[in-house]
Amino acid sequence: MTGDGGLGTGGRNGAAERAPIELIDASRWYGNVVAVNAVAVSLEAGITGLLGPNGAGKSTVLHMVAGLLSPSAGQVLIDGEPAAGNPGIYRKVGLVPEREAVQPFLTGFEFVRMNARLQKLPNADDAARRAIALVDLESAADRRISGYSKGMRQRVKIAGALVHEPSVLLLDEPFNGMDPRQRLHMMELLHAMASTGRTVLISSHILEELNDLAGNVLVMVAGRLAASGHFREIRKLMTNRPHTFTLRSSDDRRLAAGLMEEPSVQSVELTEGALAIRTSDRGLFTRALPRRARGAGISIHELLPTDESLESVFNYLVKR
Amino acid sequence: MSPVNLTVMWLTFRQLFTKQRLIALVCFSAAPLVIAAIFAVTRTRTPAADLDFLRELYTGVISFVLLPLTAVVLGTAAFGGEIDDGTIVYLLVKALPRWQLVLSKYVVATVATYALMFIACVLPWLVLGSGPDALALFEAFAAAIAIGAALYCALFVMLGLTSKRALVAGLLYIVVIEIALSPNVVGLKSVSIREFVMTVAGKLAATVPGMHAGAVSVATVETMGAIIFVGSLAFGIRWLARYEMEERL
Repeated sequence: MTGDGGLGTGGRNGAAERAPIELIDASRWYGNVVAVNAVAVSLEAGITGLLGPNGAGKSTVLHMVAGLLSPSAGQVLIDGEPAAGNPGIYRKVGLVPEREAVQPFLTGFEFVRMNARLQKLPNADDAARRAIALVDLESAADRRISGYSKGMRQRVKIAGALVHEPSVLLLDEPFNGMDPRQRLHMMELLHAMASTGRTVLISSHILEELNDLAGNVLVMVAGRLAASGHFREIRKLMTNRPHTFTLRSSDDRRLAAGLMEEPSVQSVELTEGALAIRTSDRGLFTRALPRRARGAGISIHELLPTDESLESVFNYLVKR
Repeated sequence: MSPVNLTVMWLTFRQLFTKQRLIALVCFSAAPLVIAAIFAVTRTRTPAADLDFLRELYTGVISFVLLPLTAVVLGTAAFGGEIDDGTIVYLLVKALPRWQLVLSKYVVATVATYALMFIACVLPWLVLGSGPDALALFEAFAAAIAIGAALYCALFVMLGLTSKRALVAGLLYIVVIEIALSPNVVGLKSVSIREFVMTVAGKLAATVPGMHAGAVSVATVETMGAIIFVGSLAFGIRWLARYEMEERL
C-alpha cells in the first residue's frame, strides 16, 4: 500500500530528527471532563487513521495537533516545535475541519484563493486553480458555496487546506457527504500526497473508511489511545473479539448442553426464557448452531447479537 | 509588519455587505436626505431656519440614532457568526498574528460606518447648507462622527467577538446607557460615546448659532475615549489570542 504511515508510541524525545507530529503524554481536559488522556505517539510521513466513536477525543487530538487547542498536560509538537500559540507552523500544516460551514457568500475559487493569499503565496490565483483541479471542482469553482452540496463543501475545504502544499495535512471526518466516486478520487489524492513524503492524519468513526487508505491506525476510546498499529492488525482484533448472543428456542436447557461441547462457545448462561451465549469465533458459532439444533430436534425462535454497537467494539479494545 | 491584512479586510467587507444588510444601511444613510428634502419642500425656508434644521438633523437623527445603529450593526457583524459557525478556523490556521485579525476587521467596520455616516451628513448639507455656518456645522459633525465611529466600532467589535448576543448587548448599551440613563445620571455621561460626539461637534462648531457645548469636557472625551478605544481593542485581541476550538463533548 502506498503511503503507509509510520507510527511509534511514546514520543521521541531527544531524537536528532524529529517526527513531523509528536504527542508526548498529551492530555486535555475541560473542567472535570477529560477529553484526551495522556496520548503518546509520534507520526511519520504517510497516512495515519484516527479511529474512534463520536466523542472519543479525535477532534480534540486533531485540534491540539493543529495548534487550536493547547494541551492541559504534556506536549504536542510539529517538527519539534510546539503546535499551540505558534502561527508559524501553519506554513506547513493544513487543516480540514469537521464542521461543514464555509463562508457561503464566497465562490469556491474565492475561498481557495483567500486561503492562498492568507498563506502569502506569490501567485495565489494559480495556486487556487491547481488546488481546485486537485479536488476535481473546476466546474463549480465560480459558483457560490451557499449552493454547494455537502460533498462539494468537503472538497472545497480540502482544496483550501492543500493550496499551500503543506507537509502535514489534518482531516477531520473528511469523507462526510462524499459519494463513492468522490471518495475514491479523494483517496487517490491522499495516497498521492502521502507518497510525496507528507504526513496525513485522518479522523473517522467508520473503520471501513480507513480501509485501503490508512496504513496505520490509532484507535481512540473515551479520550485514551486504546490501540495502535497496522490497519490489518486492528481489523483482525475487532473481528476476532468475543461476541455475545441472546437465543430463544423450543428447549433452551438441552440446546445449552449441546452448545457447551462446541469449541467456539466460551460460556452459556441460562436466563429466564433465553440463553446468553458468549463465543470466541462468531463464524464458527453461527455455523455450529443450526447443526446442533437440527441434530437435537430443537427449533430456534430468535437469535440476537447483543453487542454490535461501535462503542462495544471500541470498548473491547480498551479492556483487551 | 502591517497592522492590518488586506485579505482579511476583503473578507470582512464581503461579510458585512450582504444584500440585505447593504439595503438596510443605504436606507440608514439616505434617511437624512429624505427628511431634509421633505423640510425643503414643505416649510418656508430662511438661512436661519435651514441651519437650525440641519443642526437638529445632525444631532437628533444622525448622532443619536443612525451612527450608533450603523456601528452596532457593522461592528458586531465584523466577526459575526464566524465564532459560532466555526468559519473563524480558516483565519486562525494561518501564519497571521491574531491581533492583526482583530485590527483588520475593526478598520473595515469603522471605515464602513464612517463612510455611510459621512454620506448621511453630506447629502442634507447639499440640500439645506448655504453659507459658512452650515459648512462649519457640516465639518464639525463630519469630524465628530469619525471619532464616534472609531469608538463605537471598537466597543461593538469587541462585543461581537466575546458575546453570542452581541447585537442585543450593543443595543442595550445604546438604549439603556446612552438614551435612558446618561441624560439623567451625571456619571454615565462620561461613558456615553454619544456625549463625546456632541462635545467634539460643539467644540469644533462653537461659533455656529445655537450650537451648545457638550455635556462632558474635552479632557473627559480624550481620557474616556482612549480608555474605551484601547480597552475594547485590547480586550478583544486578548480574547481572540486565548480562543481555543473546543470539541463539543
